[in-house]
Amino acid sequence: MTLHAYLLLGLALFSLGLIGVLTRRNLIALLIGVELMMNAASLNFMAFNRYVVTDPTVGQIFVLIIIGLAAAEVAIFLSIILRLYREYRDIDAEKLTELRG
Amino acid sequence: MDTLSLLLLTTFTPLFAFLIALIFLLQQPRAAQTVVLLGSVVSLFASIVLFLQGPTEPLRFLWFSSGNIQLQFGFILDGPSLMFGMVVALITGCIMVYSTGYMAHDPDKTRYFSMLSLFAWSMLSFVYAVDLLQAFIFWELVGLASFFLIGFWYEKPSAANAARKAFLMTRVGDVGLFIGVLLILQATGIFDIPALLNPQTGLSTQVSPHTLTWITLLIFVGIMGKSAQFPLHTWLPDAMEGPTPVSALLHSATMVAAGVFLMIRLHPLFMAAETTPVVILTISTFTAILASTIAMVDTDIKKVLAYSSISQLGFMLIGLAAGSLFAGVFHLITHAIFKALLFLCSGIYIHAYETNDMATIGRKGGRNLKATTTGLVIGGAALAGIPPLAGFFSKEEIFAQLGHNGFNIYMAGAFFAAFLTAYYTFRMIFLIVKPDRHEESHDHHHGPLEPLNMKGPVMLLTIGALITGFFGGQIAHMLNIHAEHHALLDMLPAIAVVAIGVFVAYLDYGRSQAQRTGFISNIGALNTLFVNRWYIDSFYNAVIVRLTLAIAALMHWFETHGLDGNFDRLGLNILRTGTQSTRVQNGLMQLYLAWTIIILGIVALYIGMA
Repeated sequence: MTLHAYLLLGLALFSLGLIGVLTRRNLIALLIGVELMMNAASLNFMAFNRYVVTDPTVGQIFVLIIIGLAAAEVAIFLSIILRLYREYRDIDAEKLTELRG
Repeated sequence: MDTLSLLLLTTFTPLFAFLIALIFLLQQPRAAQTVVLLGSVVSLFASIVLFLQGPTEPLRFLWFSSGNIQLQFGFILDGPSLMFGMVVALITGCIMVYSTGYMAHDPDKTRYFSMLSLFAWSMLSFVYAVDLLQAFIFWELVGLASFFLIGFWYEKPSAANAARKAFLMTRVGDVGLFIGVLLILQATGIFDIPALLNPQTGLSTQVSPHTLTWITLLIFVGIMGKSAQFPLHTWLPDAMEGPTPVSALLHSATMVAAGVFLMIRLHPLFMAAETTPVVILTISTFTAILASTIAMVDTDIKKVLAYSSISQLGFMLIGLAAGSLFAGVFHLITHAIFKALLFLCSGIYIHAYETNDMATIGRKGGRNLKATTTGLVIGGAALAGIPPLAGFFSKEEIFAQLGHNGFNIYMAGAFFAAFLTAYYTFRMIFLIVKPDRHEESHDHHHGPLEPLNMKGPVMLLTIGALITGFFGGQIAHMLNIHAEHHALLDMLPAIAVVAIGVFVAYLDYGRSQAQRTGFISNIGALNTLFVNRWYIDSFYNAVIVRLTLAIAALMHWFETHGLDGNFDRLGLNILRTGTQSTRVQNGLMQLYLAWTIIILGIVALYIGMA
């Protein structure tokens, strides 16, 4: 395995996540897309940490922060989705336009 | 009291009265009237005391200096300013008393009286000014105050137009005056009038005769505007739109007198210049004849008096330009008194019969107003120059000076104008005193036709017109000139001319079977010319006003289509761009995100390639 392979896998993951975010209308799917992109970023950090800079404080700390961030984000995002579903019986992003954003 | 405090009392009391009336007493017209009257009385007494103290050295205070130029504020205390300052204060006082009757029912009395006070302050300060620039400032203030007063009934379009016309036409002259003043500054660096007039070191020794001619001619342009000489005279008859006491003030002691007074002030300069006196003589003689011919045919009493003022101002300038300071000052003072008197009389008639037409006033019984008619006859006789009233001696002085210096053609012109003066004055008197048929006037007034506060000033001025003529010697003494006593034989031509004028007027209007049309109406073309005021107003309207309006229209087009149009278009385009670009903001988050990714991708590609 080379750095190149890791980066390609990260790129593939990021692209899949981006396509998910851009195309899907379901809030859960959007959340999954965002998570995928974050994981792609984490993968890149780890790959660079492994092959370029071997000091664990450079890459691993970022990844730990991202994981923590993702966990917190998921918790908030899911609770919002749950609340929206109870209110509107729907989690389609296109239909939830009451804020005119 | 010392001279300075007297001077401050004379000049500044009207200013304080003006400020107090306008700032604090807008809602209390009676109080404002009292304050202004008090101010005027104080000013009058102070000026009389100053006069009695006699001429002294000028007082000067440095206002500020810039480089070598020193601007000062001060008072000149020679014969002309002392005498004329007193006359101004006296006539202003008379007119203010008279106004309490004339304007009794006007709702805007505070504005009226405060503006009168402003007028008095500007004119008095102008008369005593020692510095040329100081004089110019007050000269302009006089113009401003007369603008306010001519346009006092500003809701009448004719009054508003007359005020504008007066202001603009005098401004035309003031441009000339200002250039002249600046040329003096350029040549000498001083504004001090006594220093400029000094025969050893003054202006006339520092510039070439050619330049001096130009400077005096430019100053004369300003005098032409202010003193209503041809071709800048047309504002003065229109200024009759103001209240009649204002006309009286404007035509006797202030405003128009300011122009003549400036010439008196700078008389040695005018005399030192080469061609200027001849130019002034030509213009003034022509103006005197022109205005008299119009006064011959006009039916409006105020218009007749207005044209008569123009013609008499011409006489004063003739006397001054012929070389006699005394003749100019004397005629200025006598004219101030009898012209104020005549206007005040006409004001009583107008107030009583509500018409300006002389024949109608006569028919409605104008002669029943005894004090007024006495004033009219005496003032008219003084104006016509019947001996021994005021106007006779001063006019005689002018003729004598013209003859003495050999200006024969101008003397002939002046005699002709004097004949016309006698004619139109007695035409006015006969029309009022001997009407063709007498109607009983319907007394629709509640008060008496001649209330005391209007009759009093008229009677006072009547006495003035009777006796001023005998003070020629004293006036000459104040001017340090030795007055020559003219032999009766020398006065004969002047008396004869006046007698002929009065006699012709009697034939035309006075005798019982008179036609009551002037002899001039037999000459159709001349009559038309005179009735239409020599077409000068029509010419100005047709050419100058139209030209100005055309230029204004062109400027307006350029402004709306050029500058303003382009800037409007710029603004509209920015607005349109904004409207178009808001469509991008459609609220679709995912589309935004896609755009963000695309643009970031492009940027990344660009950075990667570079």
